[in-house]
Amino acid sequence: MSIVSTSTGAFFERARSDMKNLRTQAEGLQAQLSSGNKLDRSSDNPVAASRLRALDRLTSLSSIDAANAGRANSDLTLADAAMSDITDALVRAQELASQAATGTTTDEQRSSIATELDQIHGSLLSLANARDSDGHALFGGEGAGDAYQLDASGNAVYVGTPAAGELPLGEGQSVTRSMTGPEFLAFTDGSGNTTDLLATIKGLADALKGGATDPASAARDALGTLQTGLDTLTTGQTVVGTRLAWIELTTDRRSNLADLRSTEQADLGATDVTSTIARLQETLLVLEASQSSFGKLSDLSLFSMLH
Amino acid sequence: MGADLVSIANSGARAARTALDVTANNIANASSAGYIRRSVGLSELGANSVSSAPTAINLAGVRVSGVVRNADMFRQAEVRRTGSDAARAGAEVTGLENIEAALEQTGVYDSIVGFEGGLQQLLSDPVDGSLRASVVEQGRTLAQTFNVAAKSLDAVGEGLRFEALDGVDAVNRIAGELARVNLRLSRAADASSDQTALLDQRDNLLQELSGHVDLTTSFNADKTVAVIIGGPSGGALVSGGAAGTMAMTTAPGGTVAFTLDGNAVTIGGGAIAGKSLALTELAQDHIKLDAVASSLITTVNNAQAAGVDLAGNSGQPLFAGTGAADMAMVASGGGALATAPASAGAQSRNPANLVALRSALGTADPAGGMDALLFGVSSAVAGRSITRDALASISSSAQVALQAQAGVDLDQEAVNLVRYQQAYQASARIMQVASDIFDSVLAIR
Repeated sequence: MSIVSTSTGAFFERARSDMKNLRTQAEGLQAQLSSGNKLDRSSDNPVAASRLRALDRLTSLSSIDAANAGRANSDLTLADAAMSDITDALVRAQELASQAATGTTTDEQRSSIATELDQIHGSLLSLANARDSDGHALFGGEGAGDAYQLDASGNAVYVGTPAAGELPLGEGQSVTRSMTGPEFLAFTDGSGNTTDLLATIKGLADALKGGATDPASAARDALGTLQTGLDTLTTGQTVVGTRLAWIELTTDRRSNLADLRSTEQADLGATDVTSTIARLQETLLVLEASQSSFGKLSDLSLFSMLH
Repeated sequence: MGADLVSIANSGARAARTALDVTANNIANASSAGYIRRSVGLSELGANSVSSAPTAINLAGVRVSGVVRNADMFRQAEVRRTGSDAARAGAEVTGLENIEAALEQTGVYDSIVGFEGGLQQLLSDPVDGSLRASVVEQGRTLAQTFNVAAKSLDAVGEGLRFEALDGVDAVNRIAGELARVNLRLSRAADASSDQTALLDQRDNLLQELSGHVDLTTSFNADKTVAVIIGGPSGGALVSGGAAGTMAMTTAPGGTVAFTLDGNAVTIGGGAIAGKSLALTELAQDHIKLDAVASSLITTVNNAQAAGVDLAGNSGQPLFAGTGAADMAMVASGGGALATAPASAGAQSRNPANLVALRSALGTADPAGGMDALLFGVSSAVAGRSITRDALASISSSAQVALQAQAGVDLDQEAVNLVRYQQAYQASARIMQVASDIFDSVLAIR
């Protein structure tokens, strides 16, 4: 205010309002320091507040993306482990098939091989019905119960849904959380028929138990079919590995974006401690100066000079 | 001649004593609100006697011609005008800040994000009981925060209307007092102490009135004031000894309108106008909040209807109500969420309908709508705060300018005290001289 006052009331009024302003400023700066936030309410900076709301929303949704990615990661890891176990079982089945294919193997031996193959069939069935982290069928797509069930004649039949569920990973990306059984167990054999590994092994076991007139030849055929099945399985496992790598990639990307977001949040909303302290010091200095000069000026009264 | 000297000294002493009285009064009222500094108007007393020639020198002393009130009509009018603007802006910003707090601190935005997050998490396992229950609870929180926000907005509206009504009552009271002051002013003697006190009272009342409404004043020759509110062409609130009656009516949306003696009047300034503006903004914000709530209710319920719940029955509405105030979660439990498409059976893990719900929510964008609402209110507060600060500073300058001219300066009063004390002593000395002269005349033998 540039008015030169001659009125006592005006002098006190002006000094009061100036010191009140300084005091309010100092308190505002102190509040910023103690809360760590530049913005007390949206109207302090509407644009920044709106941006901060959007960033907070992204951060909160991103943490759910991270949880979903973790779930997909554990499901795929479980799938990978189950598929490795299936591979081991298949390798054993291949060994047994080549033993059975040898002409010198007796019928008794073939019969015991068939028994072991039945065991392998059983363990393959339970591996194909493995559970994911939520307790659902790992290879059953979005079905409610098991992935495979035995029909009346003991054949394993796929009862899941045609596709495995997808989980969003954020930023519009998603991942298929597992594979369905037919995707890595079903294949086309040498004669062009669609079959799957469980049926192949069951068929071989049945043939060796006397179901076939020439068990050795049936075992040789099965050897070729098993190799194709193993290839399909390996391809499936590669797909799972690729999906795991994809999750890792999006996780890296998510954490990079989270870093960027927190930097922006700090820029927009956090108190710049150094400059705020400097401004607080300056305000306090001015306030102190105006208080002491007010004290001196208000002491100056002509009445104290009159005797 | 000696008698002349005594009477001149007597008039001087009387004038000095009156001036000392006025000075003392000024000092005593140095911090009284609305007190305008007074000074004594002195003029020479010319007395022609019948016996003397017209050109003869006639000395008769001094007389007090009146008590002068050092008021500047222009500065007072400026204080009223700027004060009226500042009061309007201040009241509007306070109202808007309350609206902002009602919308922001109830956490509606956060609860919308929470609900969205819950749905997103449910994707990871649509049949998980705890995830389903968490979505339903987040929906309940969402509905309740909408209820609280609507109630807070209503409370802000109630407060604003109460204050506006209180302002209208104050205007009517001040108008009545002004009319009484006008009557007494028209009867008071010119330039008397009585009149100056009445003028102080009149100016005080006008200033108080300008805090509530914008007013146009005109002063008559007898110093009574006529007040017109609602712009220069508005209605007469005070005219001579008559005062009008202001009244407030509330529209269904909560906005208010004003009448003066039954005729509609538009109030453009003062706290009442600010509250009326804030109420208009509040009504719009309430409509926007209801729109966000209603779009959310419709989107969620429509998506529910398109799917089947955990038991395989077709989905029932999750939310009841049509706006922010009556929104309520009506689902009995997590099982009621229709995550699976209509073709699916019980316990289906197929999330197609949940995906559809999320995509519909993405299109309806309740979080974006709420953000836009918050942004609108907060930028209104930020913008109006700048205007308010500017108007407050202008108003405060005008007040200081008036104070500087019309207020009491203690230093000057100290000088006057010494000056009139000396004048009094000098007049007393003259009486003594007159007495000495008279004595010396008597002593001649």
